[in-house]
Amino acid sequence: MKDLQLYNTNPYDKLLLLSTLALIAFGALMIYSSTSVITPAHGRKGITEFFYFKRHLFTILIGFGFMYITYRVRPIYFKKIAIPFLVFSFILLILVFLPGIGVSSGGAKRWIRLWPSTLQPSELVKLSMVIFLARYLSDSDYKTDTFMSFIKPVLVMLIFQVVIIKQPDFGAAMSLVFLTFSMLFLSGTRIRYLLSLTLLALPVLYKLMMEPYRLRRIVSFLDPWKDSQNSGFQLVQSFIAFGSGGISGVGIGGSKQKLSYLPESHTDFIFSIVGEEFGFIGVSIVLILFLLILIRGISIANRAKDMFIHYLAMGLSLMISLQALINFAVATGMVPTKGLPLPFISYGGSSLLVNMAAVGILLNISRRRDEEEPLYKQRLIARRKARRIIETRKQGSNE
Amino acid sequence: MLNTVIIFGFFAVFLRLIDLMIFNHKLLSEKGQQQYLKAEEIQSRRGIIFDRMGRELALNVEMESLYCEPDIINRDSESIKKLAFAIEKEPKEVFAKIPRNGKFVWIERKLEPSLSDKIKRLNIKGTGFMNEAKRVYPKGRLASHILGFVGIDNQALEGIELQYDKYLRAKGGKVFLDRDAGGRILSSGIEKEVKGNNIILTIDEGLQGIIEKEIDKAMLKWRASAASVIMMDPFTGEILALANRPSFDPNTAGRYRDFEKKNRSITDLYEPGSTFKIIVGVGALEEKIVRPDTIFDVSKGGIEVGGKVIRDVHKHGVLTFKEVIQKSSNVGSIMIGLKLGKDKIYKYAKLLGIGEKTHIDLPGEVSGWIHPPERWSATSLGAIPIGQEVAVTPLQILRAYSAIANGGFLVRPHVVSEIISPEGEVIYSFNKMEERYVISQSTAETFREILKSVVWEGGTGRCASVDGNEVAGKTGTAQMIDPITKRYSKQKYVSSFVGFVPADNPRLALIVVIYEPKGQIYGGVVAAPIFRDIADQSLSYLNIPREDDTGETLLVVSR
Repeated sequence: MKDLQLYNTNPYDKLLLLSTLALIAFGALMIYSSTSVITPAHGRKGITEFFYFKRHLFTILIGFGFMYITYRVRPIYFKKIAIPFLVFSFILLILVFLPGIGVSSGGAKRWIRLWPSTLQPSELVKLSMVIFLARYLSDSDYKTDTFMSFIKPVLVMLIFQVVIIKQPDFGAAMSLVFLTFSMLFLSGTRIRYLLSLTLLALPVLYKLMMEPYRLRRIVSFLDPWKDSQNSGFQLVQSFIAFGSGGISGVGIGGSKQKLSYLPESHTDFIFSIVGEEFGFIGVSIVLILFLLILIRGISIANRAKDMFIHYLAMGLSLMISLQALINFAVATGMVPTKGLPLPFISYGGSSLLVNMAAVGILLNISRRRDEEEPLYKQRLIARRKARRIIETRKQGSNE
Repeated sequence: MLNTVIIFGFFAVFLRLIDLMIFNHKLLSEKGQQQYLKAEEIQSRRGIIFDRMGRELALNVEMESLYCEPDIINRDSESIKKLAFAIEKEPKEVFAKIPRNGKFVWIERKLEPSLSDKIKRLNIKGTGFMNEAKRVYPKGRLASHILGFVGIDNQALEGIELQYDKYLRAKGGKVFLDRDAGGRILSSGIEKEVKGNNIILTIDEGLQGIIEKEIDKAMLKWRASAASVIMMDPFTGEILALANRPSFDPNTAGRYRDFEKKNRSITDLYEPGSTFKIIVGVGALEEKIVRPDTIFDVSKGGIEVGGKVIRDVHKHGVLTFKEVIQKSSNVGSIMIGLKLGKDKIYKYAKLLGIGEKTHIDLPGEVSGWIHPPERWSATSLGAIPIGQEVAVTPLQILRAYSAIANGGFLVRPHVVSEIISPEGEVIYSFNKMEERYVISQSTAETFREILKSVVWEGGTGRCASVDGNEVAGKTGTAQMIDPITKRYSKQKYVSSFVGFVPADNPRLALIVVIYEPKGQIYGGVVAAPIFRDIADQSLSYLNIPREDDTGETLLVVSR
């Protein structure tokens, strides 16, 4: 009885739900459109017109199941499972390397066998990391101005990174870094911590970049037309897809780029096919839907009075929108090529399930009014006040 | 703050999309169209090229091409080595063709059936075959300069293939593959087979065969550097046969060098020499400056023009106008030229199509040149009447002689008579342009008589006379300009003979041009016999009746 009184007082965020549903429906349509034509590009056994589409619909169905569960449980429950969940996802991540369980494709070991399909643990890691960070940052032991508080979650992340890079899955590694740093930044940690770490990472980044094939990828990103047959091929094909779309697109099913020209046209580069078939109008709508999810997510987070809930909502909205943003930037050639699925739209079960679960949590939070005691806003105000006092003291002593 | 950064990021993507999709819409969609077209061409069946009697000169055969799917293929050295061995290549070479990942890449196109069978037996995972149409020229080198050739993707590169590419090429045809449970390809096919339009040429394979044979003989006999022969119907402009040496086999065009592949009868210029003397001759007759019996005193054996003395090869006494042409007197021709004057010479050269494209329907034709009178130097009047200081193509000269053969009009040379759709509909047919009379019929007739005398006893072209039919023609011998010294070469000559047969009822106009013959240089010795051999065989091939019993021929014999 107490539960009902406490938690079911607000209606859930309808705009968030509608945006998500629109993206999921649009995604299913795009999956059908980009995989229904059987070309040499889709070289696997028993593949029919509806093969990918059916599987995708099935995933969506399971996704709604997850969404419902995450919508129903009390948000504070996530706080309890944060550490076990993190460990669990880490174990799954390592299982990828176990023969018989791990599945490799195209030289990468990113999946584990899970009848009847496969699971990509790196997607799950994002979710567990957000929950873990939300718990860590909302803990009373967390200090924004001590380096130790800062470095602990970074080390946790680095442990994950080692495994993810070993797979290798640089797309997932990149979004995990962005996600972690963004949340640390939100918590009000010292900018210089973030900057110093970034500076420390520069030599490593340099070393990574100097690897020939990655260097080629970066060079081809700068001028894809220069080597449009090899390293610049995918990007050039993506540009052609966007360009062919024009304002209103060539119409659904009319894409020619999906006919074995654009690699990964149903996964990482599906946005280009959206552009080709639905034109500028189509991509603008997708862009706006993701922005809506972000804006609603932020608003939900800011309404929360509990710090854990606040960070959780922030983290989940960032998880979705950052990934979408990176995917857009890759497809339009604004950042170097990196395989990263577009949430809700790309084919790929793990990503879809995780993102749908994330929306479930956000909706869950959106309908709750009063959470447990510590008040996020009070703490924020207190922190600012403390900073101001310290600064005035410093100034005073200088004088 | 962070939110602002992300929203700014979205905004940046938005701007980028405007740039890509709206500002670059045209450029990028064109790029797309280009690559779709290219992919589609692979699958097209080009139209067939027939000669005028319906004999196939270019057709298609189905061949299998080997491709691989880099994502599936095992990149271990063993299977690659086996594959390389089967297609008789270095493993390294094959390895380089297979990218680290991808869905589709050609390994070897259009394989011999024996090779493709061998590879199929290897059963290498991730490889497969697709049927492709290979362009085949069953007659090999025959008429290769007319037909042209195509590249590996059947893209047109030269000749008729290039000139009429938009008719021959077929659009459409996507590739679909069916696979069995093991992932192997069961069948491959074309969604919808589209065929190109068929072309019927004016070329006659029989006549073409004759000139190909004779030109080969001539090359051997005179150890010439190059040669061109064109046979044309002087009334319609239909090219009946055309051959050049060096030549190439269009089936393996890639192995030949450019100079072997060019159709020098329309792409290369030469100084026509004495064959050009008809210009002043025709001009003088047309302007009524001379009559066939007008006397020219060439007994000095030389004439000074602009401080330069031009000599005859043999000294002649006093010649009539007719004999000047018959004996190809340089001095006499220059005298006619001086009588006619610069402007008139230029006028008649232009009227007869010198220095102008004939607009034959083959790619690469050049126009040649004759300078306008105001640019002539002091010595030009001593050079141009005898065919120096002008640059022509063999086809231009042939067209000028055809005007004499047909009574005075310029024909439009062409090699395609009809284009027929796969359904049998005629979609193009050469329509005769209105006959542009450039000289009067009487001048043409008079000049025809003069050209007949060239092959008579006392003329320079005796060797061109054909048993049973009268020939009208003209010899030509010109020094080549040394490309290094830019002066006339003492060793290098172009020998030619151009004419038509039977003289009074012309059926064939024929030009024979031999570049750098060794041993002999004169057109009457080098080119005239080739003309005779070709004309002789062609007349019997075409069943053209002999004219032995006509009085005139008897008269000739008696002379």
